[in-house]
Amino acid sequence: MGSHSNGHPQSFSVRILRQDAPGAKSYWERHRVAYERDMNVISVLQRIAAQSKSADGQPVAPVAWDCNCLEEVCGACTMLVNGRTRQACTALVDKLLEENPGEIELQPMSKFPVVRDLLVDRRRLFRALQKVNAWVPVDGYYDKGPGPRMSQENQSQAYPLSECMSCGCCLEACPQYTKIELTRREGESEAEFRKRETAAFDAAFVGAHAISQVMLFNNHPTGQMNAGERMDALTAEGGVQVCGNAQNCVAVCPKNIPLTTSIARAGRAATVHSIRKWFDR
Amino acid sequence: MEKPAPPPSSGDAGPSFLARHEFLLRRLHSLSGLIPVGAYMVVHLATNASVLAGAATFQGNVDKIHALGPILPLVEWTFIFIPILFHALFGFVIIAGALPNTSSYPYAKNYRYTLQRITGVLAFVYIAFHIWQLHHYGEPFGGGKFEVDHATSSTAVALDSLPVKIAYAVGLLACVYHLANGIWTMGITWGVWVSPAAQRRADYVCAGFGVLIAVVGLGAMQGFGDVNVDEARETENRLIEVKEMLKGERPVTQGASAK
Repeated sequence: MGSHSNGHPQSFSVRILRQDAPGAKSYWERHRVAYERDMNVISVLQRIAAQSKSADGQPVAPVAWDCNCLEEVCGACTMLVNGRTRQACTALVDKLLEENPGEIELQPMSKFPVVRDLLVDRRRLFRALQKVNAWVPVDGYYDKGPGPRMSQENQSQAYPLSECMSCGCCLEACPQYTKIELTRREGESEAEFRKRETAAFDAAFVGAHAISQVMLFNNHPTGQMNAGERMDALTAEGGVQVCGNAQNCVAVCPKNIPLTTSIARAGRAATVHSIRKWFDR
Repeated sequence: MEKPAPPPSSGDAGPSFLARHEFLLRRLHSLSGLIPVGAYMVVHLATNASVLAGAATFQGNVDKIHALGPILPLVEWTFIFIPILFHALFGFVIIAGALPNTSSYPYAKNYRYTLQRITGVLAFVYIAFHIWQLHHYGEPFGGGKFEVDHATSSTAVALDSLPVKIAYAVGLLACVYHLANGIWTMGITWGVWVSPAAQRRADYVCAGFGVLIAVVGLGAMQGFGDVNVDEARETENRLIEVKEMLKGERPVTQGASAK
């Protein structure tokens, strides 16, 4: 591997943990990519797909991955880059090669079932948002008029929480969030399987992202009207109580969302909510 | 013909007791770590450290506790054994459901999380050993070395060997870390310290508290290490005579210990 006059390598190696199908055995494969200026991991994956050839010259199926916005606001291209959970689109090759000269390592997220190669099924992440009612229900048949005003202070607290893009970095880094991968049983219909899967998701930890969204909507003047329902979900099995305070979520969040502050506020709300429920019923 | 539905497996049998009461159980686990287990530990270490003031002082404190007489086992089981057993056994359930990852995410808080689990297991093993070795429940199993009327001398003899001293120091420090860091995480769990700045301030308070009780605990160990067993035994014998006189089991004489 020679070097350009500006100190960049002519090419670099990309080591990818591949998997051909859900539940199949994973294996490492090395690719060699010619260096270009200002590459990110997505453009590297595009070159690898175009080559369809491993480093030792064997023709291979293109590596599968997911991406969408390419500006770190959708979360679709989240994967492990050099062992760290982050978005592939903002993982810049120049910086990665500074960290680890000569090679970039790519793995799918380890907490979600792999669909193929770097593509994972993050259904559990979205199910958690559904479980905790992470929205403001405003649908109806008539105009309910303008909602209450939000104070500046409330706005500045809510804005960072609204930046969540559901990428799953907080879940990937969380030691309390463990992988759930179910397979369809013999004779089980798709609907039955989904029902069983949802039950399994709901029994396990909801995760920092969902807890933070509850804080966002429970402190929204209109969202507040359904605060009790969200707290019920957050104190059910797999709720905020499962947090072990490792605080990895806040350390890896690409949007710097104060997740542990949300968790502590949710803990306080859960304390009040459960005591109130106990004495009011 | 349609095939009959497969019989429900154990997974479909409805949520378990643990599942239905997860919030309450986790919160009780959190609470029991401080009240009564942590509070008991602080009192226990402070009582033990009173040996630094001499065998008579420590014997006096032990006698005060044992003055509860037949109620003592009830107090022990209600405020000490049952809460510790609940905290420990549920703690194992919590540990079993997690996957520590300090190698991938080597952050200070993540190490503290992992260490909380390691010290929890160490504390469990150490407390089991400690009860076997000194509490009278350990007697049928070759332990139970603590004698109520010879509190100082019997403990000093039991703690005399170097391996036991090392085991006690490790066990004690594991308990101290587990309590101090546990109070910090408890403050987040219950929503006492919420913002990162408040959590940092709580860090200093909990660390200070941890250092303080570590000093008290190690001071107690030092106190038992410094005990002159013969002298302590003599003091205890004199106290036994006095106690017997007070109960009227022995005629009141002057200079009783001189015989």
